[in-house]
Amino acid sequence: MLRIVVGIKWVPNTTSVNIDPKTGTLIREGIPSVVNPHDLEAVEMALRLRDEYGGRVTAITMSPPSARAGLEHVLGMGVDDAVLVSDRAFAGADTLATSYVLAKVIERLGYDLIVFGQETIDSSTAHVGAQVASWLDIPYVYYVTHARLEGGRLIVRRSLENVRETYELELPALISVAMHTLHPRRVRLSHKLRAKLESPIETWTNRELGLEPDCIGLKGSPTALSKIEMIPKVPRKNEIFRGDPREAAKWLVDKLIEEGLLEV
Amino acid sequence: MVCSEWPEIRLDEYEGVWVAAFADESGQGIEEASLQLIGAARQLADKLETYVGVALIGRGVRDLAREPIFYGADRVFVVDDDRLATYYPAVWGRVLHDLASRHRPEVFLIPATLRGREMAPYIANSFRTGITADLTAMDVNERGEVVLIRPPFGGFMLAHIVTRNRRPVMGSVRPNVFPTPERDESRTGEVVEESIDVPEPRGIRLLEREPILKKEEIPIEKADVIVAGGRGIGSKEGFKLLRRLADLLGGVVAGSRKAVDAGWIEPDKQVGQTGKAVKPNLYIAVAISGAAQHVFGIREAKRVVAINVDPDAPIFEHSDYGIVGDYREVVPALIELLEEIKGRRKEG
Ligand SMILES: Cc1cc2nc3c(=O)[nH]c(=O)nc-3n(C[C@H](O)[C@H](O)[C@H](O)COP(=O)(O)OP(=O)(O)OC[C@H]3O[C@@H](n4cnc5c(N)ncnc54)[C@H](O)[C@@H]3O)c2cc1C
Ligand SMILES: Nc1ncnc2c1ncn2[C@@H]1O[C@H](COP(=O)(O)O)[C@@H](O)[C@H]1O
Repeated sequence: MLRIVVGIKWVPNTTSVNIDPKTGTLIREGIPSVVNPHDLEAVEMALRLRDEYGGRVTAITMSPPSARAGLEHVLGMGVDDAVLVSDRAFAGADTLATSYVLAKVIERLGYDLIVFGQETIDSSTAHVGAQVASWLDIPYVYYVTHARLEGGRLIVRRSLENVRETYELELPALISVAMHTLHPRRVRLSHKLRAKLESPIETWTNRELGLEPDCIGLKGSPTALSKIEMIPKVPRKNEIFRGDPREAAKWLVDKLIEEGLLEV
Repeated sequence: MVCSEWPEIRLDEYEGVWVAAFADESGQGIEEASLQLIGAARQLADKLETYVGVALIGRGVRDLAREPIFYGADRVFVVDDDRLATYYPAVWGRVLHDLASRHRPEVFLIPATLRGREMAPYIANSFRTGITADLTAMDVNERGEVVLIRPPFGGFMLAHIVTRNRRPVMGSVRPNVFPTPERDESRTGEVVEESIDVPEPRGIRLLEREPILKKEEIPIEKADVIVAGGRGIGSKEGFKLLRRLADLLGGVVAGSRKAVDAGWIEPDKQVGQTGKAVKPNLYIAVAISGAAQHVFGIREAKRVVAINVDPDAPIFEHSDYGIVGDYREVVPALIELLEEIKGRRKEG
């Protein structure tokens, strides 16, 4: 049976997020969160593989308790079960400490294939996937657009800037899904009802995992925020034209000619 | 106490600013993103009063080993190995890690091309060190610590990130964030041939690699003129109008993230913090609101023009010339005028 673990992150759905200048962590209060949209693409790929070849999809998230709503969402899409990894001891983790905990969780769950999103919209580092692969010492490939099983191996396709590549991976392996390539399926009522009945969400804290406090959270994070500063604004002319579109066009073209940006 | 899964290190043993460099597609030169990073490393190394090291790995890269020196490197560490003929993230990552751990650089920078982004966190993890993605500046603070600077969540602010107890300090840098330094063949430096035990790829095999045949198109980061569309364009059709305008101006079409999300324009044409930083002479933002993350990508544009129906759109604060109006009227008027000018030019 194919055991697929998919990593999803619960992220603030806004552009106006702020950082606490004292602790250097994200201020989440009052900001509505969503499942990282690119992780829904990872969920979609995991579900397609399961639907085609059988098996089980488990979603995991290391997030504050409110992320339960995110897990409910992906269960509604058809994910089989989920683990909410949540403990104050994990807070303030950078990508090294995050990937460490996720790797331990995945190891404990057992897995054949790990599917991650390309990156998160709140930090867009695209670090965690490769780091989890490194902790688990398994093969990995990023930016996957297509995946299929053939003789127990995973055949994946991906595109880089100028080349298209096909790789064969032995399981267990990790892939991250290229963003903007899959349309995540909708939540279905039947899945939601099943999830309600079976309540397949487990919560794991560090009591279950028993990780060394020095390897997790702020302490397990080599990077630290030392300062926040505003980005200086680039000075611009700020000339504005309002009125008839033809006159506007003429005004602009004259300016561009004047500045040598347009040849006549 | 430190995590028992982190090997013990002595901070004072680490010195130098390193850059990972790769050959370009033709194999005849070093890829641009690596050269840009050498320039940035040079500046940081001067502040730290240390050397710039370049880790150049691949097959057949020996012939390119002097190139990094012409762009600012002091020492080039070359691993030229047949077993690096094929790229595998964990293999290349392992080789870069092993090479760097032999020489212990204080800072190790990786170009954030798609491959670079795939390898960099793996390398950092092998060192059990931290890594800062997509940094946009580097500095040394009062305490003598290397500070990597990146715009975090939101793009209005810059986060200064330090790596206190681990080395190397690692960061990745997107292409075109730093300028390509002038090539100077009179520069001197040392080429060090290294042999590293290149591991066999485990559990992964490349089956096929084919070049993507792209239309002969200037990538947006190299274009002199860019016409960019946003959510307000409303449709793929609307982008055709932008294309006509761009053609008349000898430029290319780009878009905001929302335009990319809507599928009206390809992801590699996204401008902004999570897209590309561009530096055209002329940037025309059409129906783009001007979110901080978008504007971040056009800081280096010489002139910015905005066309937007909403007089209060933030993009006007970030533009030189703004037109308040519906693009469906303004853009056709511009096209008409430019065609007229073009016609006149032909006659004259
Ligand atoms: C971590 C993070 C990273 C991000 N990175 C990027 C990035 O790299 N690039 C990026 O672009 N965004 C990025 N974003 C998203 C960004 O915050 C904005 O959501 C996005 O830039 C908005 O795109 P837009 O201006 O096209 O759309 P909107 O904000 O919806 O603006 C549409 C504009 O069109 C105007 N309009 C509508 N109809 C017309 C018409 N007929 N004629 C003229 N004007 C019209 C409206 O007045 C409005 O101003 C990022 C966000 C986050 C959280
Ligand atoms: N806290 C988390 N919990 C579960 N998965 C995560 C978490 N953070 C990151 N991921 C996964 O790793 C991918 C890359 O994240 P990032 O490195 O933050 O850009 C995401 O798309 C997720 O699939």
